[in-house]
Amino acid sequence: MPSARFSLLFFLLSLLWQTTVAQKPACECFVKGVVKDRHTGQPIIGATVLIVGQNNGVFTDTQGRYELRNLCPGNYTLECRIIGYNPFQQKIDLTAGHEENFNLLEQEVHLKDVEITAHRTDAPSSQPLTTISGADLDKTRGQTLGESLKGVTGVTTLQTGSSIAKPVIHGLHSNRVLIMNNGIRQEGQQWGSEHAPEIDPFIATRISVVKGAAGVRYGSDAIGGVILVEPEELPVDKPITGELNAVGFSNGRQGVLSGTVQGGLNFVKGFGWRAQGTIKRGGNIRTPNYFLDNTGISENNFSLAAGYRHKGLGIDVFYSRFDTQIGIFSGSHIGSVTDLLNVIKNGEPFVKSGFSYAINRPNQNATHELLKAETHYHFNDGNRLQWTIARQYNNRNEFDLHRPRNDSIAALNHPELTFKLTSLTNDVVWDHKPIAGKISGQVGVSTLYQYNLMSGRPLIPNFNQFNAGLFWIERYVTSKWELEAGLRYDYRMLKTYRIVNREKIADHFDFGNFSGTAGATRNFSERFSARANVGTAWRAPNVSELFSDGVHHGAAAYEKGDATLQPEKALNSIASVKYAAPKWSVEVGGYYNYIFDFIYLKPQPEPILTIRGAFPYFKYTQTDASFKGIDVSGSWEFMKRTTISSKLTYLRVYDERNDGYLVMIPPNRLDNALKYQLADRGKWKDGFISIGNMLVAEQKRVPANSDFLPPPKAYSLWSLQAGATLKVSDKQQVEIGINVQNLFNTVYRDYLNRFRYYADDMGRNASLRLKWKFGA
Amino acid sequence: MKMNRKLTWMLLAAMTTAFVQCKDSGDEVKPDDENELITSVTLKFTEQGTSNVSTFSYKDADGDGGNAPTKFDTISLKPNTTYTLAIELLDESKSPVDDITKEVEEESDEHLFVYTPSPAALLTYTYGDKDKNNYPIGLTGSAKTGAAGNGTLKVQLRHQPGAKNGTPTPGSDDVNLDFILKVK
Repeated sequence: MPSARFSLLFFLLSLLWQTTVAQKPACECFVKGVVKDRHTGQPIIGATVLIVGQNNGVFTDTQGRYELRNLCPGNYTLECRIIGYNPFQQKIDLTAGHEENFNLLEQEVHLKDVEITAHRTDAPSSQPLTTISGADLDKTRGQTLGESLKGVTGVTTLQTGSSIAKPVIHGLHSNRVLIMNNGIRQEGQQWGSEHAPEIDPFIATRISVVKGAAGVRYGSDAIGGVILVEPEELPVDKPITGELNAVGFSNGRQGVLSGTVQGGLNFVKGFGWRAQGTIKRGGNIRTPNYFLDNTGISENNFSLAAGYRHKGLGIDVFYSRFDTQIGIFSGSHIGSVTDLLNVIKNGEPFVKSGFSYAINRPNQNATHELLKAETHYHFNDGNRLQWTIARQYNNRNEFDLHRPRNDSIAALNHPELTFKLTSLTNDVVWDHKPIAGKISGQVGVSTLYQYNLMSGRPLIPNFNQFNAGLFWIERYVTSKWELEAGLRYDYRMLKTYRIVNREKIADHFDFGNFSGTAGATRNFSERFSARANVGTAWRAPNVSELFSDGVHHGAAAYEKGDATLQPEKALNSIASVKYAAPKWSVEVGGYYNYIFDFIYLKPQPEPILTIRGAFPYFKYTQTDASFKGIDVSGSWEFMKRTTISSKLTYLRVYDERNDGYLVMIPPNRLDNALKYQLADRGKWKDGFISIGNMLVAEQKRVPANSDFLPPPKAYSLWSLQAGATLKVSDKQQVEIGINVQNLFNTVYRDYLNRFRYYADDMGRNASLRLKWKFGA
Repeated sequence: MKMNRKLTWMLLAAMTTAFVQCKDSGDEVKPDDENELITSVTLKFTEQGTSNVSTFSYKDADGDGGNAPTKFDTISLKPNTTYTLAIELLDESKSPVDDITKEVEEESDEHLFVYTPSPAALLTYTYGDKDKNNYPIGLTGSAKTGAAGNGTLKVQLRHQPGAKNGTPTPGSDDVNLDFILKVK
């Protein structure tokens, strides 16, 4: 179904450009107008308006407008049609210009797919883009953002236990992956490997992953890729609809409840609103053999959105608040290397625990607020101007296992680490009117001002940061070819303030760089397409890489920053081919990402002495690194209703300057699933049962003597899923999903889980998911 | 077109105002006075029956990182002698200097000092104090040296809130130092 959806989308898009029609010199008449939905009054995009009996027709544009030119005077029958609506015919007598507006009536069976044709993503079209939406997104409901993306080829996670997961794209993560939350660069303390993105996935109806360097459109830092978290368009002038999601997980006895209500206003035309909220509570996670003490989670999130549309003008306001409290496994607190070696030797944590929902020290509390206002205007001539401002406030508090010994200070119960990061972003994007109907493009300016206030144990300095970027992208589209090229310049000014020996020290940094992109997509046929892209991106060293100086307790390592670090620059080539037949499809992609001056922690020969003993000493250093990989995905309906699908993620990383390997590179993995689609029965639709297996290899390419423990052995996990939709009535439906992860309660540890030194990974986790949709 | 121009100006004007609430983080940088460090450990050996006191210290006044430790003494003791051993912990990064020994004493039911000589024959440590749960603490005790020899003395402060059971296993290290020990 998705492939059919995409080919339809492509078909419509390609025709949209071919609005030029054969001309007859003597005929100067024209007919134009707007096609609207009779019920909602919304313009209908991509509807066909044709003259019956002639080979002459056009599609409506993004405002539902159409125009047929160079017609000879006479009588015509105009027909307007689009899937999902009843076709409409109108006879006209043409003498000169004529305006004919259509108001189409929705068909009883409204194919929702049509709505998708109106969606537009700014992502470079020649780069691989994987989108999770609809039923696929529903299956991930209740999980964190990082975990939701695990199913995408080429994407893995960097975890701290089971509740903190950061997405890893093609081996890169944290500051090298940019997250666009509803069009805004997510600005938190991304440098920390235990700082998960502060985003509620329930906000989104689409989560997309752009793989590879995408610096031109999204700005610096997008070296590994970009994650786009996108809510649905606001339901302007639509009746009230909503949904309620409830998910229960057996492991951690976690419950998640999330609801959305949205609609228009009867008395104000052009208005749409949405309110959404999520509550999550979970307790101690259980590995196959024991509970992990203090691994509960508590989350309360909500968002509000409202928008107004009038002719070409659109205004949207969005506010979201994410508030989480996460317990950190108490057995992961170590004071010295001896402590760590003892836990490793013991094979399981010393701290034993039963089940509890309580969240004690150590824990982290993070809140993230986003306030965004966006306004755009479509000019009649096809130009579009968009202006977005946003303010983000990220407040992160981290509590150590031990309170201060001093009773009066301990009584305050202050976090040992507090970060308050405020970011103001400002983006103006101008989409110029298509040149010759084939070349479209964007020019944009982005600025960011940010300040970080830090208190507690000195870890990173206070800083002020100012960024400005200017970009220009052009895209040439025909039915067979899509070519694009773009250029960007970014400037960053960073001022840091820290206390050294009780004195304030200020440092000033300036960074500036160009990024570029060039790519092509070739559609050989409706089924077969290929794309290639060469892009660059850069990333300025972040404050922790510049100024870290101390023991990283989770890692039992002494980490020291280097204030002379230069920005990293990535040159990424990526190519893929896709073939989609009705019964089978396959997509093969390869990439070669070369990163100049790649910043990493280099082990130093001599350990460093502290009061807790000698710690291995790591210094932030630069090298040149290459990331080569292959992503393969395919599916085959080899029997009626039975589909087998496979995904392969393969990655090799090499330190080119030092002829060696790098640490913390995700091992290769192979995902297989067998799915049986059940026949619809009465009110039950879309039923399925599927069984899946994930094989994760052992990471053998690691530098020698760089770790306390070699990477864990390969593991294989089985999973089981089933689901169905119950159509209660035209306006109500209930979706039910059952999911069992780690079906056989396999004991395993993952190389990219920072708790692999201390404890096994999560055991069996069964979940039941209910989704009630009403008013739809 | 008039509309376009108006809109453009509106955007530009709004853009410039967006930075009005800029703030300077440099004004708010302050030293950390709440997080306690242990920057120095001093072992005081008093030869029993005399007033001969030898002290040996580890000192890293600015804590981990920054400047390297300024002092890491070699413990030098007489063979076959019994000493009274007292330990003192300070946080010298604060002013005034914070006495951590006192705080350990107040929360003695969460702390345990562990003295481990290597080779074991060099020294025998006997705890001289007990917490309210009758578990040893190790702020004071006695150390009896064996025959002459060289080795190390590992000094650990185990922080064991809610888990102290008299053994070193629970908790984590707040101090973990290997002093060079010479018995001669």
